[in-house]
Amino acid sequence: MTAPVAEAQIPWESVAGFPEALKPLRERLLANLVMIAQIPAPTGEEARRVRFLLDRFVEAGLSDAAADDAGNAVGRLTGRRGNRAIMLVSHLDTIFPATRSHEVTVEADRVIGPGVGDNALGAAIVSLMPAVLEHLDIQLDSDLILLGTTNSLGRGNHAGIRFFLDHLPDQVHYGICVEGMQLGRINYFSIGTARADVTCDVRQNMEPSRSYGSESALVVLNHIMNRILSIATPSRPFTRIKMGRLRAGVAYDVEPDHAELGLEIVSHSDEMIEQICRQIHEIVSEMSARHAVDANLDVFFTTQAGGIPFAHPLVQNVLQVMTELGIEPDQGHSPSELSELITRGIPAVTLGITRGGKGRKYPDYVMIEPILTGVAQLVGVVLAIDRGVCDEG
Amino acid sequence: MKAERWLEERTFHHSNFWDIKWLVEEKQRQGLTISLCLPTLNEEKTIGQEIVILKAELFDRYPLLDEIAVIDSGSTDKTCEIARSFGADVYIASECLPELGQRKGKGENLWKALYLLKGDIIVYVDADIKNIHPRFVYGLVGPLIQDPEVHYVKAFYDRPIAYSGVLRPTGGGRVTEILIRPLFSLFYPELAAILQPLSGEYAGRRSILEQIPFPVGYGVETAMLIDIYQKLGLYAFAQTDLDQRVHRNQETIALGRMAFGILRTFMTRLEREQIIELRSELPNIMRQYEVSEGTYRQVRHTIEECERQPMIEVEAYREKFYPEAQPVG
Repeated sequence: MTAPVAEAQIPWESVAGFPEALKPLRERLLANLVMIAQIPAPTGEEARRVRFLLDRFVEAGLSDAAADDAGNAVGRLTGRRGNRAIMLVSHLDTIFPATRSHEVTVEADRVIGPGVGDNALGAAIVSLMPAVLEHLDIQLDSDLILLGTTNSLGRGNHAGIRFFLDHLPDQVHYGICVEGMQLGRINYFSIGTARADVTCDVRQNMEPSRSYGSESALVVLNHIMNRILSIATPSRPFTRIKMGRLRAGVAYDVEPDHAELGLEIVSHSDEMIEQICRQIHEIVSEMSARHAVDANLDVFFTTQAGGIPFAHPLVQNVLQVMTELGIEPDQGHSPSELSELITRGIPAVTLGITRGGKGRKYPDYVMIEPILTGVAQLVGVVLAIDRGVCDEG
Repeated sequence: MKAERWLEERTFHHSNFWDIKWLVEEKQRQGLTISLCLPTLNEEKTIGQEIVILKAELFDRYPLLDEIAVIDSGSTDKTCEIARSFGADVYIASECLPELGQRKGKGENLWKALYLLKGDIIVYVDADIKNIHPRFVYGLVGPLIQDPEVHYVKAFYDRPIAYSGVLRPTGGGRVTEILIRPLFSLFYPELAAILQPLSGEYAGRRSILEQIPFPVGYGVETAMLIDIYQKLGLYAFAQTDLDQRVHRNQETIALGRMAFGILRTFMTRLEREQIIELRSELPNIMRQYEVSEGTYRQVRHTIEECERQPMIEVEAYREKFYPEAQPVG
């Protein structure tokens, strides 16, 4: 029987050597990345990726490996003492429809394909974590919960992780959200977010209406957009309205009878988000009446602002691990699952694994060389939590 | 009917061999070694993922493979660099056995693999597969490990099962259905039961592969089937359904040239076995036509179908693999 490792005894010098020690696992990690990325997984259709993760968990001999009622892939690597539960989480869904080709190309220095960095790489690492720890001969005192979540993006509204956290029989003490990009990313503050669609439909002639209705949904939506743009947003608390998506029309010579705007409001203040949502709702209602169209606002995704302080031992230890590995920290806020952990009082961070890009003009890619440093960082942080040095007070 | 019984007994699905751990144990118990050969010519788009997935799953995780090698015909893209960076052994075909002269073609690479690789079983997998999966290897070596009477396993990709009361086609390609299966039906009816004789994925025991000649070009797959059949009979074969294979689709005009090469290989064998008699040597010029600005133009393609002798007849090979059998002094 192995004796429990004394708390606060962090082998920092070994952390610096982890990337080299992990080299024999490089192809296995890349293979998991490619195989996951090849599986289409639009939000709500993650079952095949869940199956992949569960197969990996079972092969690694995890005591619990099953899909929960929300379809999340859940595995638990039981620790020697079980005194803490550390959760590594990665979302499994992507923004790409199943009809799009999910071909992946592996070049000497990078892996290219839809969603490789967001977030097939995160899922690949979660799936390989038991093998990583075994390879490094690390036995944790804490339980390690490995989670691949469903219904995370867009209208999924983090349903998978919300369900998991709300139905846990045991406490989760720490969380790490694993994102493929960018290495150095450390988020411990979650910005408040609301995502919404504004839809605009012209009324058909046969519908009884005493008003003269607009015949172009696009023109009315344009009026709505102009009004939204005139909403004053404060720089403190930081608040922004982003219009990210616009859809309307099928032909040059036909005025569209339907138009959609996708927008996001982010703020350090939940009150600001509420206030702006109210304002947009009023604009949409007024324009709907003025132009006699059916315009609606649907706020389908919200996360609350919040975080742990910079001085929190978890943040300080992440920075220490990054220093040991020569990673330049990039502190910022995150729209990821982090907010679900933070709002439930679970100290958590989001960490990125490698450099890469997702793109407008070029296909998504991740660089291979930094990946093992990213994985080493993850192991270092898990070790720090496991040894108790991230506990407050 | 022998062929029908063979079809039933020797046709597998890759899922029959899902237990890779058992395959590894059994391979080790039998003292077998297995080599994977990926013949390449400008395959930078797909070679990386093929090596990464097959090495990770069947070399690092489960040591089913003892070596993974790329044998390249002179790629001008990054194929070799990518293959090396993920740990495959890379050989340039022209640098191997140079004293025997240079030939260009996939068959040349497959033949030289016998000299370069050390395995008792050689698995050949084309390097242009876009949906590579470990099944492409374990599905082929499974029957060889499971049954010592099997010497050669061929892949196929669509299962001829009854579906809604009708039979689905076998999924053989255009050249298979228009050329190969009719020829097999005429001259080697039992071989017509091999569902996709031209598939680029197969595995064989060295003990038989070293005994047969290798056409260097398009005819290599057909020749292997006929020559192994002549030496060992139908029951030396098995075939495995590997589900879907996604790869580049060839234009019909290119398939025409392939058919020409295969037909020449076929004729050579028919004559060798005195099934037919050719009054003169067959030409090696394939004539195709293209339309250009309203006129028709003949395009002549020279398609060499020279054959490499059985590897066992090469002295350097015998010295390498059977040193004890060499004459002393």
